[in-house]
This record gives sequence, structure tokens and C-alpha cells, in this order.
Amino acid sequence: MTAYTDSSAPLPSSGRRFSLVSRRGAGIVLLTLIAVFAIFGPWLIAIDPARQELSRFLESPSWAQPLGMDQLGRSMLARLAHATRLSLSMAVLGVLSAAIPGTLIGVAAAWRGGWIERVLTALADAVLALPGLLLVLLLAAFAPGQFWPLYVGISLALWVEYFRVVRAASHILLASPQVEASRLLGFNTIYLLRRHLLPVLLPRIFTLMRFGFAGAVLAMSALGFVGVGLQPPTPELGVMMIELLPYYSEAPWLIGAPVLVLFMTLLGLVLLAREEEAA
Amino acid sequence: MTDKYLAAPTRRHLLLTALAGVLPVGFASGDALAHGDHPDNAHAIAPVSTDTLTVVGPWELTGLDPSRAGYIFTRMAVAETLLDIDDAGQLRPALAVRWVVSADKLQWRFTLRSNSRYHDGSPVTPGSVLNALKRAQARPGVLTLADIRNMSTDGNDIVVTLGKRFAPLPYLFTHSTTQVLAPASFDANSNVKTIIGTGPYRITAISLPQQFDVERFDDYAASRPSLKLPTIRRARYLSVSRTETRTLLVQSGQADMAFSLDPPSIRRLQNSPQAQLISAMLPRTTYLKLNAGHRFLNDVRVRQAISLGIERSGIAKALLRDPELGATQLFPPAMRQWHQDSLPPLRTDPLLARQLLHQAGWIAGTDGIRYRLGQRFELKLLTFVDRPELPLIAAAIQEEMRQIGIAVRVVVGNSSDIPAGHRSGSLEMGLTARNFGNLPEPVATLLQDFGADGADWGAMNWSDPQLVAALARLSEEDRHAVQDRALVATTLQRELPVIPIVWYRQTTAVSKRLRGATIDPYERSYRISQLEWAR
Amino acid sequence: MNIVHGDNRAIASLFSALGRRLLQAALVALLVGTLCFFMTRMLPGDMAYRIAAGRYGYDMVTSAAADAVRHELGLDRPLLSALADWWSKLWHLDLGLSQVTGQPVIHEIAEQLVPTLKLSVLALGLSFLIGPTIGLLAGLRPGGWLDRSTLTLSVLLRALPSFLLGLLLVLIFSVQMGALPAAGHDDHGSIMLPALTLALGLAAVSSRVARDAMVSVRSSAYFAFALTKGLTLQQALLHHGIRNVAVPVISYLGVQLVYLIEGVVLVETIFAWPGIGHALVHAIFGRDVPMIQGTALILGLMFVIFNSLIDVICSLIDPRRRS
Repeated sequence: MTAYTDSSAPLPSSGRRFSLVSRRGAGIVLLTLIAVFAIFGPWLIAIDPARQELSRFLESPSWAQPLGMDQLGRSMLARLAHATRLSLSMAVLGVLSAAIPGTLIGVAAAWRGGWIERVLTALADAVLALPGLLLVLLLAAFAPGQFWPLYVGISLALWVEYFRVVRAASHILLASPQVEASRLLGFNTIYLLRRHLLPVLLPRIFTLMRFGFAGAVLAMSALGFVGVGLQPPTPELGVMMIELLPYYSEAPWLIGAPVLVLFMTLLGLVLLAREEEAA
Repeated sequence: MTDKYLAAPTRRHLLLTALAGVLPVGFASGDALAHGDHPDNAHAIAPVSTDTLTVVGPWELTGLDPSRAGYIFTRMAVAETLLDIDDAGQLRPALAVRWVVSADKLQWRFTLRSNSRYHDGSPVTPGSVLNALKRAQARPGVLTLADIRNMSTDGNDIVVTLGKRFAPLPYLFTHSTTQVLAPASFDANSNVKTIIGTGPYRITAISLPQQFDVERFDDYAASRPSLKLPTIRRARYLSVSRTETRTLLVQSGQADMAFSLDPPSIRRLQNSPQAQLISAMLPRTTYLKLNAGHRFLNDVRVRQAISLGIERSGIAKALLRDPELGATQLFPPAMRQWHQDSLPPLRTDPLLARQLLHQAGWIAGTDGIRYRLGQRFELKLLTFVDRPELPLIAAAIQEEMRQIGIAVRVVVGNSSDIPAGHRSGSLEMGLTARNFGNLPEPVATLLQDFGADGADWGAMNWSDPQLVAALARLSEEDRHAVQDRALVATTLQRELPVIPIVWYRQTTAVSKRLRGATIDPYERSYRISQLEWAR
Repeated sequence: MNIVHGDNRAIASLFSALGRRLLQAALVALLVGTLCFFMTRMLPGDMAYRIAAGRYGYDMVTSAAADAVRHELGLDRPLLSALADWWSKLWHLDLGLSQVTGQPVIHEIAEQLVPTLKLSVLALGLSFLIGPTIGLLAGLRPGGWLDRSTLTLSVLLRALPSFLLGLLLVLIFSVQMGALPAAGHDDHGSIMLPALTLALGLAAVSSRVARDAMVSVRSSAYFAFALTKGLTLQQALLHHGIRNVAVPVISYLGVQLVYLIEGVVLVETIFAWPGIGHALVHAIFGRDVPMIQGTALILGLMFVIFNSLIDVICSLIDPRRRS
């Protein structure tokens, strides 16, 4: 009988150390590939994503066009590269603009306590219960035909998660003996934040951000599903998923492409996580 | 100690498995809950049996009132109108057996069929028919197209008195909004509470907005002894908004008829063992509605250039998968009297388009877009998503316009944005699919669309007095009908207040266990009573 | 495991938690109501036109129809008085008439609520069956093949839009195997595919949560102690593992509800399931604001109620929460 005495050590199983290293390595490789594709892809491919040749609609992949042509005879590879760039950067923006305020407000709420915290919590809970689609639609209706209100709406729907997680964790942390000791020793707020709170909060925030990321892109496809957010001819990953849905049977590689990009990005992010963060 | 995988399920999981097993059974019995709050609608939608014809379409029952989703009830042969139309566009008797016009052309008489009964057994009286027609007149519909001064009964006749001659009047009474419902269908406020019609099928269960069941009304033959009893005894209409789902329903055998299939679905079903495809070209044209008063668009050369820049055959081939659908003129061949074979077709000629734009003063800038007096040639194109091919066509047009130097921004919104934009004057371009078959005689629609003031779906800030006069003549008894129609078609082709893009073909999937299915070019009926089960 | 500890504190804390939920419900109602009100007022474009299009279809919508609608619905009153009126109606639970169908919103929602509830509960149940089970098994051997494959599968399911997943399931089970109906609400089996679509998406996350919980339980001191005491793995899991794993899994369920409710909207549309999500989509298309308000309200309240249930269950399972 083997006794496990060290509660923080990972469980031994065949090739444990090896798998831990290659897991993160695989994650890094995936993310680098995606990043290169997104940043340099459009420039390298050098085909106009809007240029259409109607006679070549739904052309199968070939050497010249590795992903074939879409329903309007536009280069799928070029569109994918531009879409990756647009969607991922906007998703990053959206997630960051949800995470940063959410975290700050969460810490502030836990710090202050009292009725400020109660009000903020009630507000956050109410916003969480609101169907996000509604919020985004309201904003989308104000600026039809543009992407930014959609992402603002998505942020508004997302910040609550960060708030809740951060607030709950901050409560426990702020009551802990380490923080109490630092306070008594006279360290200021910034120090406390940096030294005590962030190291514990960041892993959880990153977990939320990982899936929030995928969620932001999929929210765009959900909006496209209801007919909102379509802005021809700008390629966007989520919108492409819904635009290419009718061709799932004739040209499955077309809809597979944006899904694959999202899958690889998400897998890379997940693999990058350390054991403690995993979710 | 060896790691053993957990062999026996834990208590929690056992409990949950049991729950999950019980839940569907529990909910299934909950199917017996009533749908609809009206006592007449309190029937459960039961699982469909194999002898029920299941029809799926994208149209939803937005309400019971004939002005709203009444067309679905006439299509399923539940409600009828005074007159019917055959495939050639000729009037046929329905609830009215004869129709005559007075010598001064201002008074029409429709003689009702005798011995008709409503589905609740009550007789079809002239008073009840008049009641239904007056309701239709008070609500959005087609009766306002004619100048109807009075409607009354006289014995077994309905008498309609006009203020102005209107030859297509009988056609108005083929429209689904003028369907006749029993007095018991209406409540005290004249709202429809249940559908009691006169057709060969009556409603047995209804669940707004998604589906309703019908069964054969055997007393229908009492007033029409020459008719055979329909073979199909039970039918169901199911509203399914996505075309992929409709296709899958056909493939899995759940649906027997599926309407409004898009080209990828057609492709999928072409080799299906379950269903065959029938299609018919409908009198519906997709066109660009232009604001001819817009400072960029008021020059006919610019409008012609836009038309020359559009690659119609490419759009028809790629997006509609049917090269024949590229519009050569506004009126499709399905509109036999209006389609002009001799009219030179609309062409695609980007070179000529660029020349015309140049002549109109638009010089190409460095970004590929044209400028005139410092103004950039930018236009906003409105369209909507209710018809799935429209955003695609809009995207194709956008790119084609870019190639000739016009920057087009596509805004996909709600279909009502176009009439709203027309009203407010802010509309620049709108892409829509106009149904000229709304009334089998399109004169009424055309009179509205291209009249002196233009209309929500027709011309904007454009009119031609000769064309208006021709349409006015056509709406009365016209000796020179052929020439007038040619005049209308030719003028529209030359001036292009609206630019035709493609025509439309309705494709329907019909299960192979059915026989005798045909498409009604006027989209008034699914012709259920003519279907038979194939043995 | 004597739950009937009868602590007054426990009951009191439960009540205060429920009281918070009540407050949340009221706030949700207020928020939804106000947002919807401003939607009516401040959306660009003409409400009357949109509603007319929703009612009569694009072939028949004209300015005359829109004017009739505008007159009928009184869409031209000053802002503050209309807002006050709106709030008072909401307070009296008068959700008004649907501007498209003309039926009372309450009736429409009551009809649509039951199918959505059925679907949600079944989806949650299925996801609970599938997710944590696989997660537990994967967590028993971290780094093993089950763990890696479930990780990849779960990421794939999270990257796939729900309408695509639903389509794939229909292709497999309906078209290929002919085992289940593809869509609609008429067959007893019609609920399976939509519920499965939702359940898979939820299970993707809950399996990972369960897996991580399992890993932390396995590497915890009390678990090691249980094993040294002489319990078999099975017994140790039963007595010490499950409850500790259950807590984060069930409390994460609360967050998942957000995804459930959003997923319901898409899945109902693609499977033509006549529930509230379907109604919300159509109400949005047709700019039918009373319906938007009613359905959003119900969805929000459903969320609050489910969360309250989860609070109760969590406090039942976890004695620490009661004090």
C-alpha cells in the first residue's frame, strides 16, 4: 500500500513528468501557429478576402487554394486569415474589457464590504440572470452594421463572472493571516494586491478568460443565427460559422475551418494551463 | 494498493439514473396539457401517425386573423375565398359561382354557391359572408386597392359598388385576407377566436405559432357533388424556420412536404430515396429598389451603369443554382401576359458601366471608388434575412459594385426597414423580392408600385406619366392591353427605377409515398385535396 | 451524515440565502423591464413598421399598415410618463399583449414555459449523468488516456457552436439511424436530440470541473488517510470523495445555467422546439417588445429559481455552508 503524504504533489502515473512538459509545449506550439496565422497570414496570403468569382463558387480545395472557395467564389484561406485576426483580437479585447473591470470591482467590493458590496452583488446577480442575447441585441440595434457594439455587449454580459469569482476569493484572502500581517506591518494597497491577491486570483481569472474567449466568438455566431451582426463582406469567425452552415453537406471543409481554428486556439490555451489552474 | 476503476455505480449516480429515466416518462405524460387558452383549442398535439400528411414550411402562425397568417389556412384548404385561380391565371368559382359586372362597370355581383356549410354545421349565408368581407376591408389587406364604396347583400348575391372602375376587382377576392369564416369564429370584439372555415379540411387542433392539425370535412362534398372526396384524411402543418431542419425532416421521413428549400438543401435531396423535388417558377422578382431622387441616383445613366455592373447569370448560377433565373427584365416568364419576349434583355457589361459613370461625372479615385466634386460614391443597401438568399445576393452585388467603383455598405435588418426608409426618404438602395403574384392580376400591385407617388416596395421619387396612364387604362377595360403592357415593361427597362436581379423558383420536396403533387404558382394552396398515397 | 441536525443557524442562513434570491429576482424584473422600455423608445427605426412586418409579413407591410399599428398601440407618448406606466404594469404582473399576435403575453409564455422547462431539466439531468461521471473516472487517472481524450473532446465541444452540434446529432441519429425524430414537438422522442445537444455542451465543462475536483480530492490529506485506514478505493470515494467532489460540481452548475439558458435559445430554434427561447428569437426578429420583455423576464427568473435550488442542495450536502 502506498501512502500519499504530500497533498500538493501530482499523482505518479506512467510518464508523468514527460507528459506535463509536453502538454505545455503542445499548447505553446498551437498558440504560436494561430498567432502567426492571424498576424502574418493576411499579408502572406495576399489575396483580397472580398474578391469574388461567382463562377468558382464552392470550389474544392486545390494547391492554389488550399481551402477552396466559399459560396461567392471568394478565397476561403484569405477569409479565414482575416477572420482569425479580427475575431481573436476582438475576443481578446472583449474578454479583457470584461476581466479587468470585473476583477477591480470584485476586489473593491470584497475590500469595502458593507452596503457597497451588497449593492454590487445584487446588480451583478441581476445582470447575470439577464439573457446576454438581449443585452447584445439592444446595443446592436443602436449601431446596426458594426461589430463594436456587439463586443461591448458581450463584455457587459461577461464581467459578472469575474466579479463573482474574484469577490469570493478576495474575501477569503483578505481575511487570511498573511494579509492581516502585511496590513499590520504597514504595507500599502498596491503591495497587498500584487503580493497576496493577484497570485491566487490570476489562475482563476485565466481559467475564466480561456473559456470566455471561446464564448465571445461563439456569441458572435449566435448573433448571426438571429440575423444580427452580419456585416458583409467582413469575415468573422463566428459569423462565418453560421454563413457556411447551409453548405455543411456539399462543402464540409468550409464550416470545419473556422471551427478548427477556434478549437486549436482553445486547446492551446487549455494545454497552457498549469495543473492547479486546470478546468 | 492497486488503483481500481470504480466498478459499481455510486449511490448518487444510481439515484440520478433513476430520475433521468423517470423524467422523460413523466414529461411525456405531461403532453396531455392543453395548448391554447381557448376552449375550442384545448386539444393536445398528439404524435403523428403514418396516415397523416405532414407539411413543413417557414411561415409561422403569427395570429388567427386572416390578415396575419390567413394564407396558411387557405393553403391548407381550411378556409376559402369567393373565387379561385387556376394555373393559367383564370378565375374559377369557389364560394361564389358567378360574377358579373354592371354596364357602367361600377357594380359587381357575386352569386354565392348554395348548400355550403361551415365546419360547425351552420349554413353559409350571404350575411355571414358579408361580415367576413367587411372585416377584411377594415384591416390591412388588398381591398383598399379598389375604390369600394359599398358592399351589401341582395338575395344570394354579394353586391360590391365601386367609386371608380376597376377591372381586376374579382382578383381581389381571391386573396387569402378575404377568406370567409363563420360568425362563430369571432368574439364580441370581432377578433378571431377560432378558425371555422368552409374548406375541405377543418382544424382539429392548433398550437400557435407552430403547428396545427386538420382532418377531412366530409360535408364539403354536399355543396359540390361533382368533386371526389379527398384521399388524405389527416394533415398537419408545422412551422420550422431553418431550411436545414426542414430538409432533415424530409430525409428522416418525418415530413411529407417541405417548402422553400434553398439550393444546398435541393442539392442534398436530389438523390434522396425519401423524396422527390418539384419546382415551378413563381411571379416573384428580386430587385434593387432605388431612390431615384437621391443626388447620386437621379441620373438615369448611373442607374443603367449599376444595372450593367450586376452579374445576373453569375448570381443565378452560384447562389440560386439555376442559370435560367437571371432576370432579363422585371416580369418573369411566369407572368405570361406581362413578360415581353421581344424586349432586349438586361446585360452585364462592366466596361460600359464604367464608361457611363465616367460620362456622368464620376472619376475613379486611388482607392478604386469614384468621386465627383469631392464626393465619394457611397451608398447604403438595406436588405433583410427573412428570405435567406437576400443577404447573399446583397454581398455579391456589393462586390460587383466595388468593381465598377461604387462603395456599397450592406445593412441587414428587418424587412420593415425598407418601407420605413421609403417613407422617411432616407432609403438609398433596398434589396427585396417582390411578389407580383400576390394578386393573380398584377395590375393592382403595379398601379401601387409605379403610380404617381411611388410606393413602399416600388419606385421611389420616380414616375412616368405615360406609364401611369397605361396602368390606369389597364385597370379598366383596356382595348390596347397588349400595347399598354409592353409600354410599361419597356419604360421600366429603360428608366430602371428598380433594377431586376433574379427571378424565383419555388422548390418543394415531396415524399415518395405521395402522388399527384403540384405547385400552385400563386402560392394560394398546397393542393392537399388532390394528393393521394402512393401504394 | 445526519442531515437533520436541526441547527437553527442552518435554517436561518438558508432563509437569508433565499431572501437574497428574492431580491435578485426583483432586481432582474426591474432591469429587464427598464431595458425593454428603452428598447421601445430608443431603437433607431420605426417600431410601428417593425411590428407591422412581424404581423403581416414582408409581402404586405406598407406605410398604411404601420400607421394603423402606431395608432393601435399608442407608440407616441412622452418618455417619463410612459416609463412610469410601464413599471406600474410590471408591478401588477400585467405583461401586456404581444404586439404581433395580439394575445396576452402571459398566456403565450405559459404555453411555452412547459416545453422549455422540460428541455432544460432533461438537459441538466443528462449533463449531470454524462459529465461528472466521465470527469470522475478521468480524475482517477490524471494524464491517462481517458483524461487526455476527454480534455480534447471537451475542448472540441466548447469550440463547436450548438447549432452545428445539433445538426450533427440529427444527421447521426435521425437521418442515418432513423432512431429519433429530427425536430418538432409531436413525438415523445422529440425531446431527446435537443436535450442531448444542450447536455453535451454542459457536460464538456462539468466533466472537467469534476475531474479537477477528483484530482484535488485524491491528492488530499483526508483521502490519503482514509486509504491508510484500510478502506478500499470504492469505500473511500463513497464516504469521503463524492461529497467533496459534489460541492464544486454542483455550485458550478449555477454558472452553467447561464450557458444553458443561452443554449436553449439556439437549440429551440434549430429543432423547432416551441419553447421560450424560440419565442424570444421570434420576438426579437419582429421587435415585439412585450414578448421580448416577457420571455427575458421568465428566462431570468428561471435562472434565479434554479440557482436557489442549487443553493439549497449545496447547503444540504455541505455542512460547512450552513453556518
